[in-house]
Amino acid sequence: MRSLFTKTLAVGAAAVLALSAASCGNDREGSGGGDDKGKGFAKDSLIGVALPAKTSENWVLAGDLFTSGLKQAGFKPDVQYAGASTTVADQQAQISSMVTKGAKVIVIGATDAAQLSTQVAQAKQSGAIVIAYDRLITNTKDIDYYIAFDNFKVGQLQGQALLDGMKAKKPKGPWTIELFSGSPDDNNSAVFFDGAMSVLKPQIDKGEVKVGSGQTDIKQTAIQGWKAEGAQQRMDSLLTSTYSKKSVDGVLSPNDTLARAILTSVKGAGKPLPVVTGQDSEVESVKSIMAGEQYSTINKDTRKLVAETVNMVKALQGGGKPQINDTKSYNNGAKVVPSFLLPPVIVTKKNAAEAYATDPKLSPLTK
Amino acid sequence: MNPAKDTSPGEDPRPAAGADRGTGAGPAPVLLEMRSITKTFPGVTALADVNLAVRTGEIHAICGENGAGKSTLMKVLSGVHPHGTYSGEIVYRGEEVAFGDIRASENAGIVIIHQELALVPGMSITENVFLGNEPRRGGAIDWKRARQRVLELMEQVGLKEDPDAFVSDIGVGKQQLVEIAKAFAKDVKLLILDEPTAALNETDSRHLLDLLREFKRQGITSIMISHKLNEIAAVADSITILRDGRTIETLDVQDGGVDEDRIVRGMVGRELSGRFPDHESAIGEVFFEVRDWTVRHPVSAERLVCRNSGFTVRRGEIVGFAGLMGAGRTELAMSLFGRSYGVWEGGHVFKDGKEIQVKTVADAIKHGMAYVSEDRKAIGLNLLDDIKSSVVAAKLSKIVRRGVIDKVRERKVADEYRQSLRIKTPTVDEGVTKLSGGNQQKVVLAKWMFTDPDLLILDEPTRGIDVGAKYEIYGIIQRLADQGKGVIVISSELPELIGLCDRIYTVFEGTITGEVPRGEADPEVLMKQMTSTKKTATP
Amino acid sequence: MSRYQELKKNLFGGTTSNARQFGMIFTLVAIVLLFQVLTDGLTLTSGNLIAVVSQYSYILILAVGMLMVIVAGHIDLSVGSVAAFTGIVVAKAMQEHDLPWPAAIVFGLLVGAAIGAWQGFWVAYAGVPAFIVTLAGMLLFRGANQYVGNADTVPVPEGFRKIGAGFLPEVGPDTGYNNPTLLLGVAACVAVVWREWRARQVRQQMDADLTPLWVSGIRLAVMLGVVIFATLRFAGGRVGTSLPISGIILAALVIAYSFYTRNAAGGRHIYAVGGNARAAELSGVKLRRVNFLVMTNMGVLAALAGMIFVARSAASGPQDGLSWELDAIAAVFIGGAAVSGGLGTVSGSIVGGLVMALLNNGLQLEGVGSDRVQMIKGLVLLLAAALDVYNNKQGRFSVIGSIMRPFRRDNGSAPPDAASSPSSEADPADKTDKTDKATATG
Repeated sequence: MRSLFTKTLAVGAAAVLALSAASCGNDREGSGGGDDKGKGFAKDSLIGVALPAKTSENWVLAGDLFTSGLKQAGFKPDVQYAGASTTVADQQAQISSMVTKGAKVIVIGATDAAQLSTQVAQAKQSGAIVIAYDRLITNTKDIDYYIAFDNFKVGQLQGQALLDGMKAKKPKGPWTIELFSGSPDDNNSAVFFDGAMSVLKPQIDKGEVKVGSGQTDIKQTAIQGWKAEGAQQRMDSLLTSTYSKKSVDGVLSPNDTLARAILTSVKGAGKPLPVVTGQDSEVESVKSIMAGEQYSTINKDTRKLVAETVNMVKALQGGGKPQINDTKSYNNGAKVVPSFLLPPVIVTKKNAAEAYATDPKLSPLTK
Repeated sequence: MNPAKDTSPGEDPRPAAGADRGTGAGPAPVLLEMRSITKTFPGVTALADVNLAVRTGEIHAICGENGAGKSTLMKVLSGVHPHGTYSGEIVYRGEEVAFGDIRASENAGIVIIHQELALVPGMSITENVFLGNEPRRGGAIDWKRARQRVLELMEQVGLKEDPDAFVSDIGVGKQQLVEIAKAFAKDVKLLILDEPTAALNETDSRHLLDLLREFKRQGITSIMISHKLNEIAAVADSITILRDGRTIETLDVQDGGVDEDRIVRGMVGRELSGRFPDHESAIGEVFFEVRDWTVRHPVSAERLVCRNSGFTVRRGEIVGFAGLMGAGRTELAMSLFGRSYGVWEGGHVFKDGKEIQVKTVADAIKHGMAYVSEDRKAIGLNLLDDIKSSVVAAKLSKIVRRGVIDKVRERKVADEYRQSLRIKTPTVDEGVTKLSGGNQQKVVLAKWMFTDPDLLILDEPTRGIDVGAKYEIYGIIQRLADQGKGVIVISSELPELIGLCDRIYTVFEGTITGEVPRGEADPEVLMKQMTSTKKTATP
Repeated sequence: MSRYQELKKNLFGGTTSNARQFGMIFTLVAIVLLFQVLTDGLTLTSGNLIAVVSQYSYILILAVGMLMVIVAGHIDLSVGSVAAFTGIVVAKAMQEHDLPWPAAIVFGLLVGAAIGAWQGFWVAYAGVPAFIVTLAGMLLFRGANQYVGNADTVPVPEGFRKIGAGFLPEVGPDTGYNNPTLLLGVAACVAVVWREWRARQVRQQMDADLTPLWVSGIRLAVMLGVVIFATLRFAGGRVGTSLPISGIILAALVIAYSFYTRNAAGGRHIYAVGGNARAAELSGVKLRRVNFLVMTNMGVLAALAGMIFVARSAASGPQDGLSWELDAIAAVFIGGAAVSGGLGTVSGSIVGGLVMALLNNGLQLEGVGSDRVQMIKGLVLLLAAALDVYNNKQGRFSVIGSIMRPFRRDNGSAPPDAASSPSSEADPADKTDKTDKATATG
């Protein structure tokens, strides 16, 4: 025991001293920054992708697509998801690790868009290019690009679909609806909601559409963390408080997970199913639409978004400028971020087969 | 509590015992024989070539000082130390056995009842008796059968109590009976009792010893480990004495000539000339007085645990408090010590003629009071601590400078006590759990001596301590008195009080019922006053 | 063997929970070396070390407070919520009421103290178990965080961000290193040497066995090596970086609280209360005050941790503080504290926290997903405890053994080999049986 111990110790001490000596050479370098952006980088560079927790199919799919897409393009992908409970802290640590590993581009699907500025700055200083994926990172000058579906458009489409759906079911108003919005820490939630309200508000003002509970403020309608149980709980209480006698005609739901939770709640209460909107084209929701339960979803083809992002990375690698189509709308509080926006598509039972024709997972469901 | 039967167990059974013991028909067959048992732990030999033979139907006592190897021997027997970890053989009911675990020995009918009971306080008597051994029908517990059976068992052990009563609601004596009933539920052939009467008062102890004799009549063999030599001398048929992990001798009580002194000689390997050191008291004037002390029970508000108690202590005096378990001696002491027990109802404390306010432990320490509790492990010591920090724990301020502990002084102080109290330990950095009971008690004494008290209240200062260490503790108490301190000794052992104290108060049901000076104290006088409410004339 | 134990004792001081702490230091070194190899030397680069310190300093600060709470025999489940609540209150105070940031920090600490005092009141004076009080606090302050913040993310001003994301300034001549960090390193070296010298002196005054000179020598060499290495690494990062401010705050707290728990009467009282509350009370320790202060202190440290995180994140968000309590508690237990209180050290908890932090970091550098990272961390926690139990069965001192002893019957459900009780190491004869049993009656 003793001799083993002594040896271990001696080895340990030697190691420490050796390391100390080795560390005399330091890695001091001037703060990099984007000066060398135009020059591109090696073809097999490390590309970091930091995504939120695996709470929706979409993020899992995006992760897989990034891995395969980046690999195909010759890069070394490093795709990481935040943990389920410690999302923000995890993502901060993951971005730092990517910087340490020398990632040239870091693609971030933020968990909390406002709490990453320190890490983004760190990435920037190390010379990495930062792309905000799907969610705009706020209050920082250090992000380079934003790529997403046009989320205001998404909201508008949802609002319109809600009206169309209710009209189809019950030709004459006034219609009673309820509003749901996404997680308040997600920058997009407000964008969706504002988009939808831009369509719904005129109808509400006209009295054609009534919000049964009167809860129209985004703070009242928000579901923390996009959690299904939160939506179900809120819908349960709405049904108890407002709809014990009447029924609700439509529910604006910002995404599919919440939409299904809302439907579950309504079914549980034994009420007729309202028109419920959605987003993300999740498998269960597409099934639900085909079964005539959920009314609509949005097809934001993750494949396209990832493919465009990978294209962006490729362009940057070659030292060129990536394609952008909006240099005005997305101000993150510190600067206007050059953006590339993809158009979303509304999907109902009618156009499902057509919309998902190219999707290997979804197209069988529409037949 | 039946005063009519009041004869101390030490003398009571002699005439009857002969009838119990003499089977008349020659020696009974041997039930259990342990041969050349040797058990070593890394670095230490706990048992060396120990032999034990127990005859069917006898009460066999095992005596020895702490550390002699009694419990290790019983652990070997019960399979706690499984077969293979010791050498030697065990022959039980004529066959060699090799118990791999406790269950195996229990299946063979060997059951140990430990000193502290393994009962679940929040469960009923019935549930406890069948814990782990529930009568079942299908998958469920057959409560009907359990109830029938528990009534039989309670009858057998003489327990009169509602079988649905919670164990936490019955006294220690009855809890012990529940434990025995539990053993009987497992069809016991050999019952091993480890210090069965340590926590019992005289009445309960007597009842338990009677019960052992009753079991003997029913043919159940018992092994009893005890420090109470009077009890052993009273009930045992044979006595095996261990010393330093070796069998010294086996005494057959029937042959006669076995008394306490004889056992002590075997245990310590010498005659103890006296159980108490010689001492000449130098008693000064009264310096501490308590008047009309009344305290309510902390939970049941209608119960008074101290009623108008009053007493005095002189400088240099050792004052005894005699009383049965539950008489309120500890309650009196703890309530005086900064109201650490119950709800104070009234009463005054005077020191050096002036009334003092003792509302917190800190007050008590400030006024020079010290309380050495009866349960040093539960409330006297922090068992995670080492010796040196235990010693200074009650008066840290003495070694603290500007909020920082002076560790040099801490160690020096502890080391001085180690030497003066002869605490057996290589260094004061040792954890207190590594000390024997007697040495732990010395640490507790040191802790309170360090507070520079004028009055020390020692609650059962020699409980669970072996003979040699007791003698040393007595010496320390006498030295403290000689330094002019007042010492109050609370004890359940009357001989101890009689041998040690200058004056003895008797306590019964929260009231001080008598005061007996040294010359007049004998067990009968004390016992009478300890069991009656009538206040006898104070001299 | 004896030399091994002597070294063990001498290297890490003489208290009881060191066996596990000792093992954990080796685990820590092993983890660092393992990942150093696996990541091709990335683990010990300046950039990574700086990142690790600023990522985990707030958890380690919580662990310091949690250690004292756990030593006193309690637990605090509310720290994450308290941190989040303080974070949002401070952020709002600066954003909406234009409180200058230094004042905001003081304000935050006061909020923490008030919350701690509130919980301390219920624990110490009302006698409600800390588990319940802080479970309630966890809900209460999580809700309060959302109520105050409307689940918004509230940014904080640049000055405030210093405590979480700031570095020491670049001053003095160009040495190729961050000069203030170098100075701190020199100070640390001096302190290490002084402490060793002082320790020897004290042992001498005590008339205690003097640590053999060779042990002192090795200890000094190892510690100086570590300090020099760390200094050069932290000073040698990218220009503009250094030892993070949050790391300096952490180091100051660790030094102060280590000293307090080891050498101050108040610290001693915490251990006494956790070891045996009744015995402490009967020794004149003011039980309630100790409990109250421990909980209040935890509130202050939780507030500080919350502010550092907010500063680092540049904003207070609704997800702040989620699961922090678990990380802090795990660090304390991995670092050798006992569930039932009375055992554990500040430095041990820091080592425990660093084990978790470097494990996390190394796995992230390796590109292991957070799902698997969580699984691995869970297993490490279990393993740390299991190793302790294993040591126990081998007859060495065991923390868990000493905790579990009261719950064990010698003839009951205990595994047979566990019965050779831990304390029988020194005294296997039945002398110690009494000790084993006595705890069961209490």
